[in-house]
Amino acid sequence: MIKYCRRCVMPETKPDLYIDEEGVCSACRNFQARQDVDWEQRRTELVELLDRYGSRDGSNYDCLIPVSGGKDSTYQVIRMLELGRNPLCVTATTDKLSAIGRRNIENLKHLGVDYIEVTTNPVVRRRINRMALTEVGDVSWPEHVTIFTVPVRIAVQMGIRLIVWGENPQHEYGGPAAAAEGNSLDRRWLEEFGGLLGLRVSDLIGQEGIQRRDLIQYTYPSDEELRRVGVTGIFLGYYMPWDGYGNALYSQAHGFETYHKPVEGSLVNYENLDNVQTGIHDYFKFLKYGFGRATDLACLHIRRERLRRDEAIRLVRRHDGSFPWEYLGTPIAEVLDEIDMGLDEFIRVCDRFTNKKLFVCDARGDLVKDRRGNLSKVNYDNVADDTPTPASRTS
Amino acid sequence: MSRVAIVDTGCCNLDSIARAIEECGGNPFVTDHPAGLERAARIVLPGVGAFPEAMARLRSCGLDVALTEQVMGRQIPFLGICLGMQLVATLGTEAGETAGLGWIDAQVRLLQAQPGERIPHIGWNEVLPVADCPLFKGLTPGLDFYFVHSYALRPDRDEDVAATTPYAGGFVSAVHRGNVFGVQFHPEKSQKAGFTVLRNFLAL
Amino acid sequence: MLKVRIMPTLLYKDVGLVKGVGFDSWRRIGSAMQTVKVYNLRQVDELVLLDIRATLDGRGPDLAAVDELADECFMPLTVGGGVRTIDDVHALLMVGADKVSMNTAAIEKPELIREVADRFGSQCAVVSIDARRQSDGTYEVFTHAGTRDTGLDPVTVARNAERMGAGEILLTSIDHDGAMDGYDLDLTLMVTAAVQLPVIASGGAGTYQDMADVLGQGHASAVAAASMFHFTEQTPLEAKRYLGELGFAVRR
Repeated sequence: MIKYCRRCVMPETKPDLYIDEEGVCSACRNFQARQDVDWEQRRTELVELLDRYGSRDGSNYDCLIPVSGGKDSTYQVIRMLELGRNPLCVTATTDKLSAIGRRNIENLKHLGVDYIEVTTNPVVRRRINRMALTEVGDVSWPEHVTIFTVPVRIAVQMGIRLIVWGENPQHEYGGPAAAAEGNSLDRRWLEEFGGLLGLRVSDLIGQEGIQRRDLIQYTYPSDEELRRVGVTGIFLGYYMPWDGYGNALYSQAHGFETYHKPVEGSLVNYENLDNVQTGIHDYFKFLKYGFGRATDLACLHIRRERLRRDEAIRLVRRHDGSFPWEYLGTPIAEVLDEIDMGLDEFIRVCDRFTNKKLFVCDARGDLVKDRRGNLSKVNYDNVADDTPTPASRTS
Repeated sequence: MSRVAIVDTGCCNLDSIARAIEECGGNPFVTDHPAGLERAARIVLPGVGAFPEAMARLRSCGLDVALTEQVMGRQIPFLGICLGMQLVATLGTEAGETAGLGWIDAQVRLLQAQPGERIPHIGWNEVLPVADCPLFKGLTPGLDFYFVHSYALRPDRDEDVAATTPYAGGFVSAVHRGNVFGVQFHPEKSQKAGFTVLRNFLAL
Repeated sequence: MLKVRIMPTLLYKDVGLVKGVGFDSWRRIGSAMQTVKVYNLRQVDELVLLDIRATLDGRGPDLAAVDELADECFMPLTVGGGVRTIDDVHALLMVGADKVSMNTAAIEKPELIREVADRFGSQCAVVSIDARRQSDGTYEVFTHAGTRDTGLDPVTVARNAERMGAGEILLTSIDHDGAMDGYDLDLTLMVTAAVQLPVIASGGAGTYQDMADVLGQGHASAVAAASMFHFTEQTPLEAKRYLGELGFAVRR
């Protein structure tokens, strides 16, 4: 049986999530702890920090903001501009950029910033996507890497000492205490929590014809280079109470465009709009851990009292973990074609990474799938000891 | 895709070798009975355990005759792994003397541990090809493969020796005669190097 | 010559992999399948998979889980956790384990080691010894995933295992487990000096030098590591390079 947090709907299977004796998860506790924060004090700290690291005479940027064009990075840029700073915005082009994603990037530039986009070799990138999918079950692995390496490399190259990230993912999404307290990012943090799944860039060399010279942009600067420039990173989510939905509202008021309906497999239309491969990425999260994007969002909204827990459970049952036939309207065949994979092979890879213990299987131990290929979890909520409830995908 | 017959000698796990052959692009199927061999484009004889028992098992299923027909008669490429390699010898000496399949004139003898060495020989050790054996095409000499055995094959003729390994005074770690190949190590446990050997076998 | 081996250890709990400190504070680290595949990609020498709940839950090994993982493992695989009978051992070998590790059973039913060695060969029989350093400097062996003391010292248990026909010893320092502050060299040397069997050192690997120390000074034949590979940027390949440069015979 899968154990869930009693307050939100996150299952215990999530890496680095901890459910305490009262049945409440660490992400909920972290959120609760926010009430005790003196946000005025934090804001003062932020301004002091920005002053300390900013350019004295305007000859260099005050800070570097890694951006994607999404709701959060658009929000970060707006806030920095409001604080009178001159940021350099840096994007590492995503795996398969959507049309709406490209428009949102243009919108971000037009807020009034210098902008650098680094696109890794797309031919090699596709091979890495494919390999990451078959080897670690995460098609977006190269993106997890470049999201960190590209901005940090540019910061070193351009002598910009402060990188302003958004939220510390370990905080709201739950993570070991050591990561949550600190609010700066170093190489050790990246290796441990950056979603690298134990795979290292050096592991790629020699696979699928990938050579060391293909991996320049995936290489994190050395500790020595970081020290020479004095690069440090902060999470804006430490200095202001972070809320993805609030960020989306604010960004929309500044031209950020949302999708015309909730994104497939999700509950909302305002996030994860840029990378068409995200459907596959989120689906594999579901196969490995038993929760997808719908669960993530439901939990965020429960904590902010926009959803009740029982409502969340119903929404999750309905939307979470749907087989990604389409994402942002693009059929899966197109996405798979680009990474040189057929649907049959894709389904085999899905099955291989599925944690069979979390899903309903038949008497032979094979996964039970509906007509559309969807799985059912063994339980969608905590089961009381004396009343075992069979799970089923009803709405 | 090459249909590869994996002969079931009643020893433990055949999954590993089947999976490895699959990963290398072959189409494996397990058979413990002569008719099964007829459909094969390649034959693999794995083996874990003791020489006398394995030969007795092959004889009782009529596999010794069937294998000889396919391999010596029809010249189907054959790969013996570990005990499977030893079985192609004329004579085994484990627990008394037992006749092998006799395709390569050779005897199977217990390894003699040198000072500081232990028998059984377990672990990763170098394989040094001595001739242009197609199994080792594309591999740097001296790569390590995974071994777990106490006995080794000693061919009467030097030209049947395909590779040696520096342990127990040096023993023969691979043999080759025509379409008969044998490796003392486990290619299915030797990762990339092992896969190259299997791919080379499938590509013959 | 035979090479020294580097073995990542995977600890399996209920539905996935975990890692702890001092056999406690378990952190979920994610999908077993993905971890096995990554290590396969990285060409590690051997993999150790231990089910840390089995004995405490009073059950045998999870064969379905091992079967699936073994299918992706193209190097030698040692499986342990909940092994109590010869049938457990046979079943594990049939689903793909190359070696089976016995911990609690090795103390409570040492005849099992003899049975395994006779029936399947000593190369299949690994005896796993978990030890804690006591306040007086001596060591005590614990069973049941480190929760039950036995009053026995590691040397006695190791010697007995050798007598019973074990092929290898997996020696874990409970104190150093997860701390990444170096292996327990005293403990390792104590056991390697007492038996002829290969000893795999486990518990405390933090740096490549730690591995060199336990192989060199501790006379271990192989090193196991978990936290070091899960949580830091260090890799088995680099470990091999480092050890190779120091003169250890590492696998090419």
